[in-house]
Amino acid sequence: MSIIASFLVPSSPLTYFRSDNPPWQPTAEALQEAGRRIAEMNPDVLLVYSTTWQAVMDQLWQARKLQQGTHVDHNWFELGELSYDFQIDTELAQSCVTAATDSGIKSKPVDYDQFPIDTGTIVAMHFLNPNGKIPVVLASNNLYHDHATVAELGKVASSCATQQNKRAVAITIGELSGSFFRNEINITEDSIFKKSEDDWNRRMLDHLTKGDLKTCEKEMADYNAEARAEYGFKHLQFLLGAMGGSYHQCELLAYGPLYGKGGAVMQFTPE
Amino acid sequence: MSKGKILAGFLAPHPPHLVYGENPEQNEPRSEGGWEHLRWAYERARESIERLKPDVLLVHSPHWVTEQGHNFLGVDHLSGKSVDPIFPNLFRYNFELDVDVELAESCSQEARNLGLTSKIMRNPNFRVDYGTITTLHMIRPQWDIPVVGISANNSPYLLRLDEGLEEMDRLGKATRKAIEDSGRRAVLLASSTLCHYHFHVEPEIPEDMTEERPATYEGYKWDMRMIELMRAGKTPEVFELLPQFIEESFAEVKAGSLTWMYSAMGYPEIPAELHGYGTVIGTGNAVMEWDLSAS
Repeated sequence: MSIIASFLVPSSPLTYFRSDNPPWQPTAEALQEAGRRIAEMNPDVLLVYSTTWQAVMDQLWQARKLQQGTHVDHNWFELGELSYDFQIDTELAQSCVTAATDSGIKSKPVDYDQFPIDTGTIVAMHFLNPNGKIPVVLASNNLYHDHATVAELGKVASSCATQQNKRAVAITIGELSGSFFRNEINITEDSIFKKSEDDWNRRMLDHLTKGDLKTCEKEMADYNAEARAEYGFKHLQFLLGAMGGSYHQCELLAYGPLYGKGGAVMQFTPE
Repeated sequence: MSKGKILAGFLAPHPPHLVYGENPEQNEPRSEGGWEHLRWAYERARESIERLKPDVLLVHSPHWVTEQGHNFLGVDHLSGKSVDPIFPNLFRYNFELDVDVELAESCSQEARNLGLTSKIMRNPNFRVDYGTITTLHMIRPQWDIPVVGISANNSPYLLRLDEGLEEMDRLGKATRKAIEDSGRRAVLLASSTLCHYHFHVEPEIPEDMTEERPATYEGYKWDMRMIELMRAGKTPEVFELLPQFIEESFAEVKAGSLTWMYSAMGYPEIPAELHGYGTVIGTGNAVMEWDLSAS
C-alpha cells in the first residue's frame, strides 16, 4: 500500500482568512502542523477528496496539470480572495478515472481552463501544500455517492498510486457537525452551534482516536441525525478506503468551531 | 419620482444546456442544438421583455447559495468566465453584466428592515454563478439591461421548510418595497427548475434528444399539476400544495425563487402564460410569465 499517512481537514476558509481569531487559531495551527508533517514525509502525491467540489452526474477527477488563480468564496466574499497554485498528477489522475470506471463508478476527467477550484481544496492546499510542490490528485464529491462508494474511491486512488510506485498522503476535506450561525456573530465568541452537536462530535472523535471503527460505524446514523453531520460524514470513508479499511493510529490535532460548524484536523497512520 | 412597478415575473429556469444548445459566441463549447422546445419558449419570453422594456431585471438564483444572509451583487460591472463545475463540457461562458447597485442596496436594506440578514457582495473578482448567467442570457441575450442578482439563502434546507420559505416571502416583500421606492420598472426572474429528479449518466452526445424525457412519471405529473394551477391563476392552491410538491418531486423551488417572486408580485391570482415546458437531463422546466404591466 502506498498510503504513508491520511488527514481529515475542514473546508472552511475562516482559518485561511483569520487564523488569528482565538476560536479558529488552534485549527489553523493544527493545519500548519499537518503541513509541516506532510513536508517532512516528502510524499510523491496527495490524494484529495473535497466535499466542496460537488458533482451530480459522474465522479469527476481534476486532470488539468496547472492550477493557478484566485477564488472568491460565494459565502465569505467579504473576507477577500483565496489564492492557489498547485499541480495535478495528470498521469495518476487519468489512471484513477479508468480504474474507478472499471470498478463501477463512472468517472470523467476534467480539463478546462478556469475550471472553478473549490474553496475546500484551496484552503487545504494553502496549509498542507503551501509551495504547491507536491502533485495532487483531486476527486469531487458526487452528492449521490454513499459511504461505500466513497470508500471505493479511496481504495481506487490508493491502488493506482501503488501501481505507479508513488508514496501518497490521503486527504479528505469536510466538516463534522453541520449547524451554523445564520446571523452575524462576534467571531471571538464562536462556538459549536449546539451543545448536543458538540457532544456528538467529541464522541465520534473519541471513537476514532481509540481506533473503535466498529462503534463509529454503528453510531453513524445517529450522529448524522443528531448532529447534521456534513454529507453524512461520508468523507471519512475516502481515508478508510485508501488505508484498506483500518488504521494503526489516529491523532486529533485540533477540534473547534467554524461559525458554528464543527471542524477537526486529524492524522491517521496506516497499519 | 413616480412609484416603481413590477411589470412582470417569469419562471426562468437555468439548465446550462439551453445556452449550450443555442451556441452563443460567449459560450466556448459548440453543439448541434438540442432542447429546442425550451429555447423556443425562451424566445417567446424574450419578445415579452422587448415589449415591456424594463429598467432592471432581478434574478434569484439557487446556485448562489449563502449561509449568512440573503445577499445581493453590489459591484457596478462584473465580468469573467463562468465554468459550470457540474457541466463544464457544456458551459464555459464569458460574461459581462451591469448591476443596479443602488436598487440592490435598497433591497438589502429593506430586507434588513424586515428582520432578515442581508449583505452586499462588493468584491469585483466575484464569479457570478451559472444559474444567474444562464437565466439572464436566455431571457435577454443582449445583456443591455442592468440586473440585481440575489443569492439563495439556504434557510429552507437548514430550517423547517415553512420557516425557510417564510424568509423568502419577507425577501419578496422587501424587494417590492425597494422597487416601488426606486421608481424603477422591474421584471422579476425566478431562476428555478420544477421537478428536480434527474438522470445520473449523461448521454454520449448531450444534445441527443432521443435520450431526453422526464426522469420520473410522478415528477412529471406533479409538474403538470402545478403548471395547470399557475395557468389558471389559482395561487392559493399553488401555495397550499407547494410543500407536498417539494417533498414528492424534489422540486428546486424549495430554494425559494418562486416564493420570492410571487411574494414580490403580491401573490396575484392571474393566469400565468406558459411559454413552454421541457425536460433537461430529466428535470422539469417551465418558462412562464405573469404579466402585471396592465394592472
